[in-house]
Amino acid sequence: MRRAAIIGTGQTHHASKRDDVSQPELVREASARALLDAGIDAAAINAVVISSMELFEGRALPELWLGEAAYAAGKPCMKVATGGTSGTSACIAGYHQVASGMFDLVLVVGYEKHSEGNTQAGMAIVDPYWDRAVASGALGNFALSISQYMADTGVTEEQAARVAVKARRNAARNPYAHLQMADITVEKVLESRMLAHPIHMLDMCPQSDGACAIVIAAEKTANKFCDRPAWIEGAATRHQQPYIGDIERRLTTMETLRSAAKEVYAKAGISDPRRDLDVAEIYEPVTYAELAWYEALGFCGQGDAGRLIEEGVTEMDGELPVNPSGGVLSSNPVGASGVIRVAEAASQVLGRAGEHQVDGATTALATGYGVYAWADALVLRAMS
Amino acid sequence: MTRPVIISHEMDATWRYASGVAMERFANNLLERRIEAMQCGECKRRYLPPRPFCGNCRVPLTDWAPVASEGVLEAWTVVYLPIVDNRTGITRDGPYAMGLIRLDGADTTLNHYVAETDPACLKVGQRVKAVWREELRGAIDDILHFEVLE
Amino acid sequence: MTSASTPVAIAGWGQTGPLAEDLRSIPEMVLDAVQATLRNAAMGYEDIDAVVTASVDVFDGMTASNIAVTEVVGAVMKPETRIAADGLCAAIHAACQIRAGAYDTVLVVAHAKPSMSDFYELTKWALDPIFLQSLGIDFLTFAGLQAAAMAAEDKDAVERWAGLAACRLADASGDGKSPGSTEILQSALVTTPLREKMCAPLADGACACVLRRGDDSSPGRKEIRLSGLGHDLAANFIGDRELTESAGLERAAARAYADAGIKQPEDEIDVAEPSVAFAHEEELFVQSAGISDNTIISPHGGLFAGNVPIVAGLSRLTAAAEYLRRNNDLRAVAHGSWGPAGQGQAMVVLENAIP
Repeated sequence: MRRAAIIGTGQTHHASKRDDVSQPELVREASARALLDAGIDAAAINAVVISSMELFEGRALPELWLGEAAYAAGKPCMKVATGGTSGTSACIAGYHQVASGMFDLVLVVGYEKHSEGNTQAGMAIVDPYWDRAVASGALGNFALSISQYMADTGVTEEQAARVAVKARRNAARNPYAHLQMADITVEKVLESRMLAHPIHMLDMCPQSDGACAIVIAAEKTANKFCDRPAWIEGAATRHQQPYIGDIERRLTTMETLRSAAKEVYAKAGISDPRRDLDVAEIYEPVTYAELAWYEALGFCGQGDAGRLIEEGVTEMDGELPVNPSGGVLSSNPVGASGVIRVAEAASQVLGRAGEHQVDGATTALATGYGVYAWADALVLRAMS
Repeated sequence: MTRPVIISHEMDATWRYASGVAMERFANNLLERRIEAMQCGECKRRYLPPRPFCGNCRVPLTDWAPVASEGVLEAWTVVYLPIVDNRTGITRDGPYAMGLIRLDGADTTLNHYVAETDPACLKVGQRVKAVWREELRGAIDDILHFEVLE
Repeated sequence: MTSASTPVAIAGWGQTGPLAEDLRSIPEMVLDAVQATLRNAAMGYEDIDAVVTASVDVFDGMTASNIAVTEVVGAVMKPETRIAADGLCAAIHAACQIRAGAYDTVLVVAHAKPSMSDFYELTKWALDPIFLQSLGIDFLTFAGLQAAAMAAEDKDAVERWAGLAACRLADASGDGKSPGSTEILQSALVTTPLREKMCAPLADGACACVLRRGDDSSPGRKEIRLSGLGHDLAANFIGDRELTESAGLERAAARAYADAGIKQPEDEIDVAEPSVAFAHEEELFVQSAGISDNTIISPHGGLFAGNVPIVAGLSRLTAAAEYLRRNNDLRAVAHGSWGPAGQGQAMVVLENAIP
């Protein structure tokens, strides 16, 4: 494949309600920052890919309305929407469009403005024959799978709570994060309201208004505009069967993420991810999912994720920092969440992550998660 | 900052969903309190809910196999937040329990409500049994919920 | 933006519908179209590396509506990208994936069932909620505004469009029978000046095709290649657009022509399959895409055989491919359009090739 790299990123301040901006203005805020970060003019953008889950705002084809805000007016533009993986899939789509040789510079923008719609209602417009009659929402569905994961691995509520603590403490050093809690403790997580057994309020991601954008450049252009581009070494997508009961012990098995990770590790020459990766930004809508993904991504052995978090391996000062940004647990504008993972991973490689920079990060993993078990994975790397 | 202007639109949309052949037979079976799964001719996996195609083997599904209205609770939770039934707009208040139930004879698990809402009384591996509605309608909620047998 | 890149061939295609109302479920319809496509391409699911689907949640009444078709398109444990726009965009993206070298063989699938709902009512939710949606208008209103703008200084326009509609309806009917211009001009007024029979009838359907690398085919074997790709999103607010022309289509076509090395489209395009949902759009297409009288347009009536939103552009691609398969040394264009008054535009150039 032709080489392509991320040369700039931008995101909004994420919050539960951004009444100060319209949806297009939110999109523009992130897009403008990404162009500024990349050091390019809007006119230089050749094509745009947009990501959002339109029923959350009760919209159809929202790119028609806010494409201009993403500098897409008069340019090639299409929208990608695949549930939670929308953002990572849009980044992969942008990568493929650049690597096709058709475009030199592609802007990928993801956004969601949950406060302008009814996300619970939007998410409940599911399979009409079955899931609508026996609905318990994303929350209930995670809780079900967590009961199996706990039975399989012996992971504890305390271990999950440590993920929440890590995420919100990291977020306190990320000016864009929605939930910043420098003083969060395991006790506070366990004392927070029980939403669906065993998920406490602080185990779960928020709903955020926010947007995030990245600029992807073809090889020559990337080298022209950037001293240390974040090269995309591999990108993979896997989808899975449609009903929750189709996927055997989904958190424990998570075959899609395993397979996607295997593919991108092979492309990037990564044989021991814990050693070879410097940082990971993974899509964890709930604390227990982060633990399950450690196993699927090969950061530890099967059933060892609880110990990994206890040993601090994935903390900012650990061997493999996971989600220095605070992750989805700290900011979750759904259509943007996947783009944020890629943008944060790129920022680390670009050396522009500010207070949550992992020193000397050269190789980064970003993952996406959606529906019941859909997965994306990308590896980014600076050339040494 | 001046106060933002908020413009509201209420979404009132109606869609008519064709059930498909598999779900139609399944729904008609429910009217006789009978549950049938579809079985893949390749991998032999018995699917609930029924559907036209085995996504793993990539072959159409045509065979049916009876399954029991009893089975094993493979996963459970008690939800404390309310959930809206998007078909009716009626809210189900918390706490309510959900389970993934592997009916005897089926390979996939079904997500459905469980009558027990005390977490101390629920565990993976328990036997559960379907409780049927008196006046059947030919929909999956003809099974009101599952009750714990042990 | 010419790219000296991997050639992309269309290996097979198939569809189900268009039917005014298909009583099957969406996965059943899509399965039918996919199986027809694989048969046509002489391939199996195992030959497919990746899938690109096209659907829109609000039209399907389902969040992440591609969940409904993941199994039948064969995307379990495979890469699937869902484009929420006209199906021709999905084909363009699939062709990009092949040019990029990401995948060798990609299945493209689009579906829609407007009979499930009041389709035009749903299009109101595609208009900006602050200004346009508050006016209570829909995509039909935009088609009417555009046609009215075109007819304003062109007294014969409406009669001409009635003639065009009669011609396309006759081509679509299979037996050459269609209502005459007079009957069309007397059909119910939908949105001034467009009458019912000037509007391609909404229909349910699914369409699919397989794209594959064209540089590894056996020498001398005839194949059809996608040699030019172009798409565009115009400004949203209609006050920002000159409705009597389609600058968006001009840009999309210019990109596709440049990609395919076409310098004089008026001489170089043999067949055109435009997405004409309203008769006046054919004139816009001819003018904006630079098509001349030498080009055969919609030989089988185009969307007047049934206008399936989202599927439309992809079905134009497969219609053009079908025409090329029966002929030699031809070049065709397929066109897709979405949004109010054609805000989104897509164009693909196809040609007979012998590797």
